[in-house]
Amino acid sequence: MSFVWFWTFWHWSKESFREGSLLRSPLHGIGGHWDEWYRHEASESDHEAIAKTGRSEASQRQFISWLLLHWAGETELRANRQAHRFVLGQIAHLEPFKHWAAFEKYRASYGIGGISAVVLAEGSPGKPEDVRAVEALALTADPTASAIVAEGFQADSIELETPRSAVASMLGGKGLLVFLTLWLASGKRAYPRWLEIVLSLGWVAVAGLILYLAAGPDPGEGLIFLCGTLFALWSGLILVAATQAATQTIRAWQQGRKWCARLEQSQVRLRMDGGLTIKGGSAGLPFCLNALHSLYRANSHADRRSWLWERLFHKLRGESQAWAATGSITAEGFLKPVMLEAKLRACLQSEGIKHVLTPRQHGGGRKAVYRLADARGASPKQTAPTPPCSVKVRLGFAAEEPCLRVHPCRHVAQALMRLGEFNSKRQLALNFFAVATSVAMLIALRDLKAILLPPPSPMVVAPSSPLPDYLWVSLDTMHPDQFLVVLESSYWLNRRAELSPRVGAHGPPRAEIHLQRSEAASTTDQEDGTVWIERRYQFLGREFAPGRHIGRYDVSYLNRIGHE
Amino acid sequence: MKPESAVEQLLRWRLARAEAEAPHAPRGAYLLKLARPWWETWPEWFKLLAQRVGRIETAYGYAMAENSRNRSGHPVAALVVRGGEELETFARVLYINVRDGRLRLRFQLDALCGQPLEAFEATFIDDKDARPLLSAQATLSVDSEYRIDTEFSGQLTRDWELLKVTDKMPFRLILRAETDSG
Repeated sequence: MSFVWFWTFWHWSKESFREGSLLRSPLHGIGGHWDEWYRHEASESDHEAIAKTGRSEASQRQFISWLLLHWAGETELRANRQAHRFVLGQIAHLEPFKHWAAFEKYRASYGIGGISAVVLAEGSPGKPEDVRAVEALALTADPTASAIVAEGFQADSIELETPRSAVASMLGGKGLLVFLTLWLASGKRAYPRWLEIVLSLGWVAVAGLILYLAAGPDPGEGLIFLCGTLFALWSGLILVAATQAATQTIRAWQQGRKWCARLEQSQVRLRMDGGLTIKGGSAGLPFCLNALHSLYRANSHADRRSWLWERLFHKLRGESQAWAATGSITAEGFLKPVMLEAKLRACLQSEGIKHVLTPRQHGGGRKAVYRLADARGASPKQTAPTPPCSVKVRLGFAAEEPCLRVHPCRHVAQALMRLGEFNSKRQLALNFFAVATSVAMLIALRDLKAILLPPPSPMVVAPSSPLPDYLWVSLDTMHPDQFLVVLESSYWLNRRAELSPRVGAHGPPRAEIHLQRSEAASTTDQEDGTVWIERRYQFLGREFAPGRHIGRYDVSYLNRIGHE
Repeated sequence: MKPESAVEQLLRWRLARAEAEAPHAPRGAYLLKLARPWWETWPEWFKLLAQRVGRIETAYGYAMAENSRNRSGHPVAALVVRGGEELETFARVLYINVRDGRLRLRFQLDALCGQPLEAFEATFIDDKDARPLLSAQATLSVDSEYRIDTEFSGQLTRDWELLKVTDKMPFRLILRAETDSG
């Protein structure tokens, strides 16, 4: 077995912790524990074996590989995917590892990257060094220490606790609600590209059908087909959208709650080298974002079922080095203004920073970046070779666009939308279009129902008209607006009449036809004539050609009904 | 002249010169004074500091009852004397081991403004009667921890051998910065 000495140390640490000689757990106290073991507990043969391992860089690297692949997998630390990085980062500063070349990169960072914080040194006008790399690690809770720990800098506990509260809010509180609302309103969906196009076309088709039915030529016999198609299409689109929204929202919520519970049982370690004592809370936003990311990294892939979180952190993992952030944060995740100009200047001069998240405030935004870039007299990144960025020719100025994009935010949720590249103008436009279309559909829903699911044919009921020059047609129906009454007679003028709603407290709806003799009457029989009951089709106030006849009554019958 | 005798003469000459230039040997009384612990040299000052560190005790009595369930240890009252300033704080004992006539102890201070000092002279004071127990150098280790490794013998050995870091410590600390010694 290789590197037995490390196992010896680890078991000494565990046993000492168990028996009460050590206060901190073997993981959290690994630095001090190693120092103690190496100085006082390690045997001569252990020292020899350690020295042998350290003799060449190859064997040092072999030890690191063993630590990452085998040791971490065989200890209880395997559940936390960041613990081994913490172990390497801690022991890299101790004897004898601090002299080992293979540990060089672990001395400088945990190697996990993160969003940089813009923290100005005292009196600095904004220099590249003020953009400071921040890393965050989530370990299991340490009862002997705070839930959030600063490494490499000092800060008031409130400056660290507030970002932690904001993280909790983003995972399972109002912050998450804000994030989900923003995503629902304008966020990219988890559709494949082809489905996105199909859905967009679907909404256009719905709007087209509504316009056609409301203002186009009378479809005649095709009315029911068109209405059926419209309703089915709209229902399908709503179903897809609602299913997608509900699924992603519920998964994000569940995942957030799970991580929120883990946050309560975790210690978040924020690392920012430089030994600064932080004054002010403008590092709150990067601390919050990095702490959030650390929870994601700490947990296994099996836990990740939310497309929203997965996309966000996938983007962060790949591109966090290009992002910097500044902003004072509240426990609910809102951002408060900070001193911005010097920080933007620092970002402009800093290599690799392409995006900066700031609070939405006066003096920020693109104009400020252009002004600062102009003040420097040249393109901000021209001093070093940088990958080509979006260069836009501006007529009359011939200026190069700065490679720094400012993203003003009012809430951390907006910062997450930016980081995850969720913002989609197309989706926002489509949502507006879909909402407007759906409002029209909801208004027209009753008309569609009348066309697609017409009410049963009504019967003529009493009373009949007591006046000789009036014909009353009373119908036994709850939907008087969906029927018409048509009089066809050789004696009377032909008439089409609408049904009035109920007359009196209990009377049925009825059509009252004022009888007027036709000048071209071909008969003298005043009771000549037939009354037809027709279905009436409407859509958003538009009246279609009458539907088929569903009832036929003689005038003589109608005159006598109720009088016999 | 033989080369061997030339080297011998040179060495003798160098020795004579070194003896002539060397400072006078300290007097016995001075050596005795140096060997005495500081609390015997300045008893009044010690008394003042001991009284002050003793007063801190009530401040952490309540927290102690809360923390005992959480394996977070009991904070030890500590008085940091540095550059004429005195700072009341708490030390958290991270490791304690009494074995083979030696005391090994690690602690961390709760609050210490600015950069941590490289070393303190740590004086252990009896928790009950403010009696000085021992004095040892505490050296800065990793992660702002201080470590003590000193000879430890006498009556206390048996009691302290059984101590766990989660127990209430039977001592308080006066931590004097090295520049304040003497």
